[in-house]
Amino acid sequence: MRSPGLERAALAVGTALLIAVVLAFLLLPIVALITYQPLHELIDGFGAKVATDAILVSLKTNAIAFALTIALGTPFAYALARSRFRGRSVVITIVELPLVLPPAVAGLGLLAAFGRVGLLGHTLSVLGIDLAFTEAAVVLAILFVASPFYLRGAIAAFGALDPTLLDVAGTLGAGPVRRLVRVAVPLAASGLGAAAALAFARGVGEFGATILFAGSFQGTTQTLPLAVYSLFDANLDQAIAIGVLLIIVSAAILLTAKLLASAWTSSRTSPSRGERSIFVSS
Amino acid sequence: MRISHLGAPVAVAGSALAVACGSGGTTASTSHEADASSPPTVLAAASLTKVFPQIEASAKYTFGGSGALETDIEQGAPADVFAAASPKQPAQLYAKGLVDKPLEFATNTLVLIVPSDNPAHISSVSDITKPGVKLVICNATVPCGDYARTAFKNLGITAAAMKNVVSQTTDVTQTVAEVALGQADAGFVYITDAKAAAGKVKVIHLPAKAKPGAKDFIAVVKSGSHQAAAKAFVATVLSPAGQAKLEAAGFGKP
Repeated sequence: MRSPGLERAALAVGTALLIAVVLAFLLLPIVALITYQPLHELIDGFGAKVATDAILVSLKTNAIAFALTIALGTPFAYALARSRFRGRSVVITIVELPLVLPPAVAGLGLLAAFGRVGLLGHTLSVLGIDLAFTEAAVVLAILFVASPFYLRGAIAAFGALDPTLLDVAGTLGAGPVRRLVRVAVPLAASGLGAAAALAFARGVGEFGATILFAGSFQGTTQTLPLAVYSLFDANLDQAIAIGVLLIIVSAAILLTAKLLASAWTSSRTSPSRGERSIFVSS
Repeated sequence: MRISHLGAPVAVAGSALAVACGSGGTTASTSHEADASSPPTVLAAASLTKVFPQIEASAKYTFGGSGALETDIEQGAPADVFAAASPKQPAQLYAKGLVDKPLEFATNTLVLIVPSDNPAHISSVSDITKPGVKLVICNATVPCGDYARTAFKNLGITAAAMKNVVSQTTDVTQTVAEVALGQADAGFVYITDAKAAAGKVKVIHLPAKAKPGAKDFIAVVKSGSHQAAAKAFVATVLSPAGQAKLEAAGFGKP
């Protein structure tokens, strides 16, 4: 007969081992990238022209895509969260589709739709718009792939609000725009922030759709992930330096999102509506 | 090679990316068993994507830019044979003692391709310097990009041509795809790729003085676990039957 104490100890050791193996597996590639080259070479790599060009392209395209996502996505998500109509679940499924679509397929889809010989290609060229290999194409790729992360989180954040608060604001004379801007957005702020951070992180990391739809050219369409790919065969040290840069950016965004998400969980006005956080709260 | 223990993941990531980007590769499995009868793993230039499986159907292929494949081998990717679209990458690996002496097995010809409806009305190489032409070439580290830059230099149009380059790809099949799709107005690829995309692209030949001499080299990878199969593969490519298949695909004799 085995003693229960021994069994418990074995379980504890087993659990600790499992946790160690999983953590090592997840952390090893990141540690390996950071320690691949001497620190001063790594830092030199951050400042190389190809890196700074990619940082500027990434910053510019993501800033535009992010601004569009927030400006258009917030009222869209609010309207969808507040209304009940036939086909609502279909609309939400359409919003969620890009989340599960392989990015390469998203890129092909954008080509087939907005490419020069795509569905809208002729219409666009009549209007004098040629998206091929432009920053605008990068922005579209980021928008398509990343904005659903915000839309989905924002719908959940608005949906978790106590509708009576908004109704009271309405009876006190606030119009729909005022209700959104002055009541709903502040109440849902941390949820919206977490969703926005997630969308931003996805946008910064966007690769597959961008390289297929927008191509890759230093200073115009070559974002940080594209620079990593392009440098893989030319200069591995430099590719890894840019990779480390992306790790730092991604970690910072994740941390922000986590902080906002935990703020959301603790400040929610209507806990009865259920836990909808996209992150595991700590 | 500083991080040999990381080689395989990096290599696999590289290949996965190449596949994700439409280079049409069949990623080989990473079996290490030294079984003489099992097929060799061949890392080959993207320009060989169609013809190599015709020459030897049973080998396990990964196709990609010669530069990326060179990095894969340096990082310890499991490979038995390396076939590049240039002497450069095999020679660099040979100098590092990673492959046997490379052998020339074919020549290729760089051409200019335009979409079949030719939206930018390009009729000769000099037209690519017209303002607004969207030109796609390969990265300088890939043979097709190296050759394109040599052609610009030979024609004395480097500055004007490079100004019109809107995208640089990591292997020749991506350059073909951009032009075949009509996204780009023109691109520099091998005649063999142009042939494979016939119907979607029109070929414009370069003047003799502009043509860089494109040579394809093959070598057995020393660390490969299927040495006999690798040597047999190289012999098949160099055999009259292999050469006939290459010729039918538009390659020239070595």
